[in-house]
Amino acid sequence: MSRSYVPVAADLGLIGCEVCALVSRRPRSEAAKWLCPRCGHALHLRKPDSVQRTLAWLLTAVVLYLPANLLPVMTTASVLGRESHTIVGGILELWTTGSRELAIIVFIASIAVPLLKIAALTLLAFSAQRRSQWRQRDRAALYRLVETVGHWSMLDVFVVVLLVGMVHFGVVASVRPEAGLLAFGAVVVATMLASASFDPRLIWPQQGPHG
Amino acid sequence: MGMVPLDAESLPAPHGRYMLCEECDAVYPARPIGRDDLLRCRRCGAVLARGHGLPLDGQLALTLGALVVFLIGSLSPIVTLELQGIHSQATLLEATRETWRTGAHVVATLSFLTAFVFPLLVIALRLWVLVPLVMRRPVLFLAPVMRLLRWVLRWSMVEVFMLGVLIAVVRSAGVTHVVLGAGIFAYMGLTVLLTAIHAAGLQALWAQAVPKRRGVRVARPPRPRGRPLWSAARRARGAP
Repeated sequence: MSRSYVPVAADLGLIGCEVCALVSRRPRSEAAKWLCPRCGHALHLRKPDSVQRTLAWLLTAVVLYLPANLLPVMTTASVLGRESHTIVGGILELWTTGSRELAIIVFIASIAVPLLKIAALTLLAFSAQRRSQWRQRDRAALYRLVETVGHWSMLDVFVVVLLVGMVHFGVVASVRPEAGLLAFGAVVVATMLASASFDPRLIWPQQGPHG
Repeated sequence: MGMVPLDAESLPAPHGRYMLCEECDAVYPARPIGRDDLLRCRRCGAVLARGHGLPLDGQLALTLGALVVFLIGSLSPIVTLELQGIHSQATLLEATRETWRTGAHVVATLSFLTAFVFPLLVIALRLWVLVPLVMRRPVLFLAPVMRLLRWVLRWSMVEVFMLGVLIAVVRSAGVTHVVLGAGIFAYMGLTVLLTAIHAAGLQALWAQAVPKRRGVRVARPPRPRGRPLWSAARRARGAP
């Protein structure tokens, strides 16, 4: 199946709408732009500048990744003093206080998922740019995985915001967000935008009926 | 269940209808989708179409339920904490306001949008489309509403927020005494309802809102910009 010719939309003069998924016929003319007859959205055979946009958001994510993990994301203050917590520190704290299952969940959401997304999208963007035909089906599955797990990294942002809102007992105990949280939230948003910018159809470069 | 893509011999007649794989552009002949069908693309494995057992009025009922649960969840306290006789209650909105007050405006806005505004929009926009459809009336602003709905679905993070509550409770349990409030249970219900509604997809709404036509419609060129409409119309009629 993988090597045989599969007709794609462009071969048949068809085009699918990204928004409403209607399949329409694209007139064969020089006009560069066509709109979906059902929803009016601009039709593209491929998202414009997909690889460049993906790489730009990935670069943003990589740059912010270090401050996100090195800077503290919150400070707890109590009568006993102040203490800063990083993302990794929070995971270790959960691990040592006995909730190991939750520690594993937070590790996956905060450390593993962002790294997976950055690595996977870099691979997808570069292989798409080289019009690679290497393991196309697996790459398509990898993209779907990235899309599915993407937003779970927001977990630690919610945890800190909730702790700030829950623990406010004046001088006795309080929690403040720190700069690391801003960087961490930005990494999550940047990787989500990178994955939204990538067009999975680029995994399948146009072959044409004659290979 | 896989589907065999078209080949050169089995191209449908000019008035046949097609299905496209959204992730690799492979073309398939359109076919009716049964209730429990799950059609996958033979080439890339993406889901082509999913039969959904939920009719429109069922979707409307679930969405109205989600609205009620959402309001309970966001207005009632998620947890109550007690420390040395002081009680502290927190709702989602209070938590984001408190975060805003500490100066972390971006983070406060981000969590306010993804845990409150976007889930509310998901529910409100679905109702905007579903209510007229069930009443068999035309939907106003269908295309922009559906486009916004599609965008907002990606950024609504109710289920992540719910897990966040759980972890925040465990982490503060060492310091204080924590009692779960009605809010957390409402959010659990909301997660389930939104997942069920989400499974129905957006395709059924499009299909119901815009009546099907025979054959394949033709893409239209954009309206010329910068020139008033009437002059384009005059030109089309052959006026100077």
